[in-house]
Amino acid sequence: MYGFKSRDEFTHKSARSYDDERRRVESWLGDYMRFRQMADGKRVSISIDSRISRHDPLYQAWKAKSFTDGDITLHFLIFDFLHDSDTQLSLNEIMDEIDRRLSCFDAPKTFDASTVRKKLKEYVSQGLLRAEAHGKTILYRRSDTANFPCTDALDFFSEAAPCGVIGSFLLDKAGAHEGHFAFKHHYITGTLDSEILCGLFEAMRGRRFVQIETVNRRRGRTAVQRVVPLRLFISVQNGRQYLMAYVPRNRRIDPVRLDNILSVKAGEMCENYERYRQKLDQMQKHIWGVSTEGGADQLEHVQFTVRYGSDEEHIHRRLEREKRCGKIERVDAHTSRFSADVYDSGELIPWIRTFICRIVEIHFSNRELEVQFKKDMDAMYRLYGLSGGDEG
Amino acid sequence: MIFSELYGAYYNTVAAILQLAVKRPVTREELRTMIESRAFSESVLTIEPALTSGKWQLLRPDGTTPLEYPPTMPLTLLQKRWLKAISLDPRIRLFDFDDSGLEDISPLFTPDDVHIFDRCADGDPFEEEWYIQTFRLILDAVKNGSPLSIDVKSRRGTRIHLDVMPEYLEYSEKDDKFRLVTFGSRYGKFINLGRILSCKPFQGHAPPGLEDPAAAIDKSVVLELYDDRNALERVLLHFAHFEKEAQRLCGERYRIKLFYRQEDETEMVIRILSFGPLIQVTAPEAFVDLIKERLKMQKSCELN
Repeated sequence: MYGFKSRDEFTHKSARSYDDERRRVESWLGDYMRFRQMADGKRVSISIDSRISRHDPLYQAWKAKSFTDGDITLHFLIFDFLHDSDTQLSLNEIMDEIDRRLSCFDAPKTFDASTVRKKLKEYVSQGLLRAEAHGKTILYRRSDTANFPCTDALDFFSEAAPCGVIGSFLLDKAGAHEGHFAFKHHYITGTLDSEILCGLFEAMRGRRFVQIETVNRRRGRTAVQRVVPLRLFISVQNGRQYLMAYVPRNRRIDPVRLDNILSVKAGEMCENYERYRQKLDQMQKHIWGVSTEGGADQLEHVQFTVRYGSDEEHIHRRLEREKRCGKIERVDAHTSRFSADVYDSGELIPWIRTFICRIVEIHFSNRELEVQFKKDMDAMYRLYGLSGGDEG
Repeated sequence: MIFSELYGAYYNTVAAILQLAVKRPVTREELRTMIESRAFSESVLTIEPALTSGKWQLLRPDGTTPLEYPPTMPLTLLQKRWLKAISLDPRIRLFDFDDSGLEDISPLFTPDDVHIFDRCADGDPFEEEWYIQTFRLILDAVKNGSPLSIDVKSRRGTRIHLDVMPEYLEYSEKDDKFRLVTFGSRYGKFINLGRILSCKPFQGHAPPGLEDPAAAIDKSVVLELYDDRNALERVLLHFAHFEKEAQRLCGERYRIKLFYRQEDETEMVIRILSFGPLIQVTAPEAFVDLIKERLKMQKSCELN
């Protein structure tokens, strides 16, 4: 993904695996692959300008599930037999119909009843078919479908809503059409966590505990923990997604990065679900990003003052627009002050730095952080040759 | 389950082929064209022989099918639950969305299940009637390629009249705003929908042209970083939505070239500054000067 690694640096499995993976990715994302020949080998990377692509190219990865010859044959036959929601058939009738339809082939495929029953059951659980008992016989019919949404709504929400890949599946059914939306500040990396996210949403809606397996990629370790999933936190400034979850073992609400969750298994109902959710609502008044370090008893105060010119009124408006849980105070016509009490004031530092060139006062109750902020400023002056008397 | 063959490129491609085959025999040439246009680049090696050899017994050797009806499939429960979820989003009112059939469906998520914590607070008023009407009028004009007469409020509060040829709508997830991207006008290529005072079909004699005098100018900036404090991952993730090139210089030192548009330059400067000393701009000189200028001004603030 980064584009600076060569084939030789692929240490996962064999070089042949690398070629297989590269071919597979190229098949999905051919238009977005970039190749650069360096002195020590070819570099392959993926480069996507999200403002040019109308749809997330990574959705292709979700459309490549393998299946058996029987799966695909049965699929089209079953929905042909049950072509409208008035038609209902028993398993035996479906078996007879399969034999009749396939008799035109030289070597007709045969299916045993248990395979077909399993497929019907799978489609019932996915909401495609309904099973109704008539005496001792179960009759199958296709489910009522919903109105197919307009493609404009699908074009937009397949990119702008969580689990947008599901909207992309719907768009595939809509056929070819021209998209009229482009997306700025659009991160597509979360796409790969769609299945995990879907499992978490289902548990949230069901007010359930989940067992999650997480990975610490730096240490190469995995761990399993039981948590109560409360809310999905999304950053639209770096694309990361976090699960805010109550962790019974620590009796705390903590963030878990979604791309570090390997699997989700729903557990029992959580009786205190609403209580934990209300607790998170209260905490959000002091969470700048996702960190809940320190706890409510040790909130950290941060404040800074910026000065701007007569033609820079937009700076005050920008503070108002980006203040999140902070407060803005107009000191005078050219000066505004931001202040906040948060769990982790370290989370504000990147944002505060975006006001570099006009910060006239800054104060952190966490003194270490204040010292670090100023040291970093000095380091920046040095990087650009502006320390001491060498400005120029 | 999201990862299912039901949603896969293969099932969709075969459905399209069978759609034709229930009407008339499908030729080999048509088969190949449909596979190439709908599935993955290597799929022709799988789908075509599977259908023609009788491995998948859905197409007879003469190109007809044992199916009697064009293939269709109802929406899955997962698809319905997602549709129900987006029907609860305030932005859905911008679209002509009919939620019939979703009455008894439980949403996959609700707005309260999701919190976007770093979105700007002054997003567009998606639920206000004037905004909805303006949005729909513009979307129709984009689709039909018809010119518009628009009055907007400038940053200085004055009213400006523009005749424009709409190109497409751009949504910023960070700003939570739509902009109309036009084929060019005297005042620039972009119009914020939230600033529009009036919008109607163009009625004049000389419609605005398709020339693009304000075309986006592509620019680039080169950064260098030392992979300390997980800097590499943070930088690449932060700038993930830009076209870029990354290169390892030596050890843990990296060079990244980002491509951006001229109109985003100020945003690019402040986003780079947000990383502090973790990254250094090395080229072009004009961009280095933009950073230096801000640092010099900061130094003059005498922060103690």
